Amino acid sequence: MSIFVASVGFGLITSAVLAIAAVGFTLQFAVTDVLNLAFAAVMTAGAFIAYWINQMGVSVWLALFVAMAACSALSVALNLVVYSPFQRRGSSPITIVIVSLGMALIIEFGIQAIVGGINVSYTMSQGRTLEAGGLILTTVQLVIIAISLIVMISAHVLLRYTKLGKAMRATAANRALARNCGIRTGRVITITWAVTGALAGLAGTVFAIDVGSFGPTSTDLFVVLILAAVFLGGPGHAYGAMLGAVVIGISTEVSAAYIQPDYKYVIAFVALLAMLAVRPSGLLGARA
Amino acid sequence: MYYLITLLVYGSVDVIACLGLSLQFGIAGVTNFGFIIFQAVGAYTAAILSLPPDTANGGFQRYVGGLQLPFPLPWIGAALAGAVLALPFTFLVGRRLRGDFAAIGLLVTAVLLNLLVMNYVPLFNGDAGLAIVPAPFQPQGMTTASTTYQWAFAAGVAVLAACVYWYARHMTETPYGRTLRAMRDNDKVADSLGKNLLALRTAMLVVGGAIAGLSGGVLVSFTTVWSPAAWTYAETIVLFAAVIIGGRGNHLGAVLGAVLVPVGFEEVTRLITNANPSLPPNLLPSLQWVAIGLLIALFLWFRPQGILPERRRVIPLPAGAAADGPALPVPQQHLPDPGRVPVPSLPVAGTAVPSQAAASPANPSSAGPGSVTDEPTADVVLQARNVSREFGGVHAVSDVSLSVIRGTLTGLIGPNGAGKSTLLALLAGTDRVSAGQIWYQGQDITGVPAFRRARQGLVRTFQLASEFKRLTVLENLLSAAPGNRGDTFMGALAGKRYWGQDEAAVIAKAAAMLNKFGLEPLANEYAGDLSGGQRRLVEIMRALMADPQVLLLDEPMAGVHPELARRIGDALVELCKDGMTILMVEHELAIMDEYCDPVIVMAEGAVLAQGTMTQLRERAEVVEAYLVG
Repeated sequence: MSIFVASVGFGLITSAVLAIAAVGFTLQFAVTDVLNLAFAAVMTAGAFIAYWINQMGVSVWLALFVAMAACSALSVALNLVVYSPFQRRGSSPITIVIVSLGMALIIEFGIQAIVGGINVSYTMSQGRTLEAGGLILTTVQLVIIAISLIVMISAHVLLRYTKLGKAMRATAANRALARNCGIRTGRVITITWAVTGALAGLAGTVFAIDVGSFGPTSTDLFVVLILAAVFLGGPGHAYGAMLGAVVIGISTEVSAAYIQPDYKYVIAFVALLAMLAVRPSGLLGARA
Repeated sequence: MYYLITLLVYGSVDVIACLGLSLQFGIAGVTNFGFIIFQAVGAYTAAILSLPPDTANGGFQRYVGGLQLPFPLPWIGAALAGAVLALPFTFLVGRRLRGDFAAIGLLVTAVLLNLLVMNYVPLFNGDAGLAIVPAPFQPQGMTTASTTYQWAFAAGVAVLAACVYWYARHMTETPYGRTLRAMRDNDKVADSLGKNLLALRTAMLVVGGAIAGLSGGVLVSFTTVWSPAAWTYAETIVLFAAVIIGGRGNHLGAVLGAVLVPVGFEEVTRLITNANPSLPPNLLPSLQWVAIGLLIALFLWFRPQGILPERRRVIPLPAGAAADGPALPVPQQHLPDPGRVPVPSLPVAGTAVPSQAAASPANPSSAGPGSVTDEPTADVVLQARNVSREFGGVHAVSDVSLSVIRGTLTGLIGPNGAGKSTLLALLAGTDRVSAGQIWYQGQDITGVPAFRRARQGLVRTFQLASEFKRLTVLENLLSAAPGNRGDTFMGALAGKRYWGQDEAAVIAKAAAMLNKFGLEPLANEYAGDLSGGQRRLVEIMRALMADPQVLLLDEPMAGVHPELARRIGDALVELCKDGMTILMVEHELAIMDEYCDPVIVMAEGAVLAQGTMTQLRERAEVVEAYLVG
């Protein structure tokens, strides 16, 4: 029983990290129409930027903001220089996916060329350990969960109650129609890249904090979790991604407690393939 | 010396793998991001088939199998394993799933399988991988380390690569290969012309899987080791880079790409490392990946067709087809087609039934019954019964019932957003009904997929340009012709002697068609290079090549030169006289006036009225719907 509760605790943290990444990924896809496989590479870039700043003696919590800003800029640049020109030319979705894989290679192995193949970790204190009913969490883990909750609530407020969020949803639903209705879709898309890029930077840094030791290729497997969460809820569906993140995060960690931890990704993988086979539009269906 | 041999073997293995990917990606448009899995399974299979049982060598490595089979069984097993492994993935490549989603599914599979094999030791010795895999054959009195043996091995592998090249080419330059390329250019349209996408893609996954498996088997026989580090998901991207850089849709390009990218990169890295031994060990391999990412993006932007672009397949038109007039034997291509013979109408009470089958459009009183549905007096060939289609709460088509009478040229008009195109898609099966039934030739075909409807003679065209861009005009036409013996996997394998006659007949038919519509001079131009009007014409001709009994046309004359539009209209009337039934969506009332009878009016997802244009003009609600719309 205590193993179960403890694994649920791990699951909550994984879900928290995963939710940030999955919401960023799914919003990016919904609004910009780019299935950006370089998302995880941008996360890695964020984690390393935070690391370098952390190495200068700055607290990782401050470095986090710099990482977010940098990843935001990196994502906007990726769109302006690469994806947007390809889209304007009318390239097929599959071409853009291949290009995004190329971008993933450039970023991921560009980092590896700089740092080498070693793993690093932040200099930080884990804080006090808190225990409640078998659930053991460090202060840092609680902070990660809190950050994630704040991001989810902000995403909800953004999408439901702000003009920008409504413009984003309109652009996602029908770009041409949104433009004809007077929405400046170009600007909405650029802002979306900025916002989702910042989420990638945030997710990358909290991911690195959570796993402790990370390297340039650490997010390779995390991609499986992100995609599983996104497709479980339905690609392009922000609330679906949140739900998917919770389901995938907890189920993988709980399964890890009972089978060999290396196999914990299998659940996410099976979920992803099952969704692709049976219901590619996700559990929450075709709502925009 | 040994270095040259290694280069030759690695080069040949990469060529084999790239050819498999070239077939899948370059010809059939199947983006298999998990390609490396198939090479890996081939390598593991060849290894465990040729290794002795794992207890034999002191148990320093664990694996299943260990059958110690003689050459060439391990290589054959490798190819078979690649082919069999493809089968579970067929669910990803059907009609329903977007190509990029399927690609992601395969990519994730590659990542996951690598992880599992790495961690599950009893299968293939886990992370450490398999070692001391025996070389394929060890003749008496010759060690496998001898130069002669090594050269013989390299030469054998090079010959094998040449064979795979020959096979890939042989496969591509057939009617079946043409169908694959048509699917690559526009899968939805290929589906609507009677091509079974699932079967085609499955075949390509299996063939490509077998080729990849073979390449893995050969590789492991040479290197004698195989471990998860050799087949990370990123290795697939290297092969993609090779095919993109070499030239998609051109197997020679794939060969060139294999030499330039995987082989070339290894060589350059090796040379630089030798020149600067002090470099950090991780730097060059990392930069190598960066360079591959850059090359992919740069090539897709500046030269998407690759170094050696797909070549245009020029097919000479048969002599004599250029001349006009029915006196020549060429237009006699109207082969006795059992499907064309008018089906005897059911013995119903109506007296006008026999003449109805002959269908003279100029008979407003009997051909256009005032009420729309459920009157079995006429020979109904296609019928919608209470059909609805919703898109997320929007009723594009709601509760529509209509009947199309055999031999008529029925018009379907209505303002924008009336649901005309949606209805056409529902009738043709390219979209699914939310409710209701579609009946065709007296059968309920609601659940029948589009390609089967097309094979039964129910063929549609599309509102938006839908030519197969990288097929010539003639190839576009040929691709739609049913019953070509070379248009099946086995038929294509059988060779030109098996299907040559069919092909010649289809070419003659297409030539006659081109002649009729005056597009002969453009027969061997890429369809994607034509003007908008010409492309519409290609599309109509292509649909006619499919031998339709009922033809559904979505704005065939939109954007077409008026003179050409007239020619199309006259041809359509002519076809109806020969027994074809046509349902045509159009905006232009003038066209409806001139050619269509009866005419069905739709507005806001429902049928508003039906009758001759004269009758319709007298009805206030029709005029209103049109004027308001």
